[in-house]
Amino acid sequence: MTKPAKDEIHYILLKLHSLTGIVPVGAFLVIHLSINSLRTVGVWPFQLAIDALNNLPFLILIEIGFIYIPLLFHSLMGFYIIHVGKTNMFRYRYQRNWLYTMQRLTGAITFLFLIYHMGTTVGAKLWEGKHYFEAAPFLIDILNGEFQTWQGILIYTIGIVSATFHFSNGVWGFCVSWGILIGKNAQRNGAIVFAAMGLGLTFLGLATVLEFNMNPVSVEATG
Amino acid sequence: MRRRTAASKGRHPKKGVALPLDGEVIHKTMTDKKITFKIKRQDKPGSPSYWQNFQVPYKPFANIISCLMEIQKNPTTKAGKTVAPVTWDCNCLEEVCGSCTMVINGKVRQACTALIDNLEQPIALEPMSKFPVVRDLQVNRSRMFENLKKVKAWIDIDGSHDIGEGAIMPDSDRAKRYVMSECMTCGCCIEACPQFSLTNSFMGAATFNQVRLFNLHPAGSMNKEERLDAVMGEGGITDCGNAQVCVEVCPKNIPLTESIADIGRQTSWQFIKNLLVK
Repeated sequence: MTKPAKDEIHYILLKLHSLTGIVPVGAFLVIHLSINSLRTVGVWPFQLAIDALNNLPFLILIEIGFIYIPLLFHSLMGFYIIHVGKTNMFRYRYQRNWLYTMQRLTGAITFLFLIYHMGTTVGAKLWEGKHYFEAAPFLIDILNGEFQTWQGILIYTIGIVSATFHFSNGVWGFCVSWGILIGKNAQRNGAIVFAAMGLGLTFLGLATVLEFNMNPVSVEATG
Repeated sequence: MRRRTAASKGRHPKKGVALPLDGEVIHKTMTDKKITFKIKRQDKPGSPSYWQNFQVPYKPFANIISCLMEIQKNPTTKAGKTVAPVTWDCNCLEEVCGSCTMVINGKVRQACTALIDNLEQPIALEPMSKFPVVRDLQVNRSRMFENLKKVKAWIDIDGSHDIGEGAIMPDSDRAKRYVMSECMTCGCCIEACPQFSLTNSFMGAATFNQVRLFNLHPAGSMNKEERLDAVMGEGGITDCGNAQVCVEVCPKNIPLTESIADIGRQTSWQFIKNLLVK
C-alpha cells in the first residue's frame, strides 16, 4: 500500500469514529451496565464481578488499549464533528434533525460525565493503589456514598441517560453510515429496535442507581 | 409507493392543495388587499445585506414570482422610497428547473410554487444562505455543478472506438433511477443541511444521490470506483450527520437518505476492497 492521501486519512478517521462507538466503546457500555446491574440481585454477585475484573491479567493494558485510547479517540473525533456542523433544529423541526442535535449534545454531556465518573472511581482506585481483591470494598464504599446525595443521583441519572441515548442512537447512525440500514422502512424499524435497546440499558443503569441508594451495604475484601 | 405528495405530508403546501375559487377567496387576505413582503437584499457579491419591506396589491392565485414581478414594475418600498428593483432567478415556473429556490418564511423552497394564499404575512424572502449571493435573491450554485463534475455524474459512451450497445437494465432499477433522476440541482437539500456550510467542502445529498443514480446504470457502473473514490475524502460521504432534513425539504421527494445510506454501503465495500486488493 502506498502512503495514504489526506482524503484517505479523513475517510479512515471518520469510519473509525463510527466503528469505535460500537466496539469497543459501545460494547463496554453494555457490559458495564449489565455487570453493574448485578448489584440489584445482591452485593455478593456484584463484588464477585468486580473481583473477577480487577484480577484480570494485564488489566492496565486491557484498560488502556480497549477502553481509554478508543474512548479518547471517539471523543476527540466527536468534538471535531460537533465543530463541523451547525444545528438548525429550531428552523427545520423534524424528528431526525432533533436527534442529530441530541446526538452531539449527549456525546458532550457523556464526555463531561465520564471525567467525573472516572475521577471518583477508577482514578481514586489507582491513586490509592487499591488493586486485586482490595478494589471491590474500596469502590463499593465510594459508590454507597455517592448515591446517598440527590446531587450524586442527578449526575449519574444524566450521565446514564446521555450515554445510553448516545449509544442507541449512535448504533442507528452506524447502521446508516455503513449502509446496513438503507431503505426508509428499514431505517425506521431499526430506529425502533435500537430505541427499545436504549430503554432497556437505561432501565438497567437506573435500577442499579436506585439499588445503591436504597440499600448501601459495605463489604469486606474477598481474598 | 415511495412517492408522497407534498400536501399529504402537511408541509410545503403546493401540489394538490385546494385553491380559493372565484367568489370564495380567502377572507383574511381580502380585507387588507395588500401583500406585504420583507426582502433580504444585497447589492453585489460580498457586500452587506439589508432588509426592505414592500407591498403589492393582492391578487388571487398569486405566487412569489408574480409578486416579485409586481415589485419590479414599481420598485417602491413600503415606506415610499424608490429603490433598485429586487432581482431573482426563475425559469420554468413549474418546479422543474430549481432556479427560483430561495428561503421563504424561513424555509427553503421554490418561489414559483409558493402560493401567497398559503403563506403567512409579512412574507420573508431571503437568498439561500449556503451559496454565495450574486445579488438580492440570486445565488451562485456552481459549487453543486463542480461536485457533479467531481463524481462524474454522467455516463461515458463511445470513445475513439465504438463500444457497442449498452446492457439492458432491470425494470426495478429503472424505476428506482427514475425517481433519483428527478433531481434539478435546486439546492434545497444543501440549504437545509446542518453539515453544509459556505466555508467547508461537504458535497451534500444531491451529489451522493447522483453517484447512486449513475452507479446503478449498467454502463455507468463501469466508472463506479472512480465515483466512489471521489466521495471518500474530506467533504465526502463520511461527513453526513444523518440529520435527514434533506429528504424532508426535497421538492421532488427523492429518497435522498436511501441514496446516502446506499453510498455508505458502496463506499464501505470499496474501502475494504482498497485495503485488501490495492
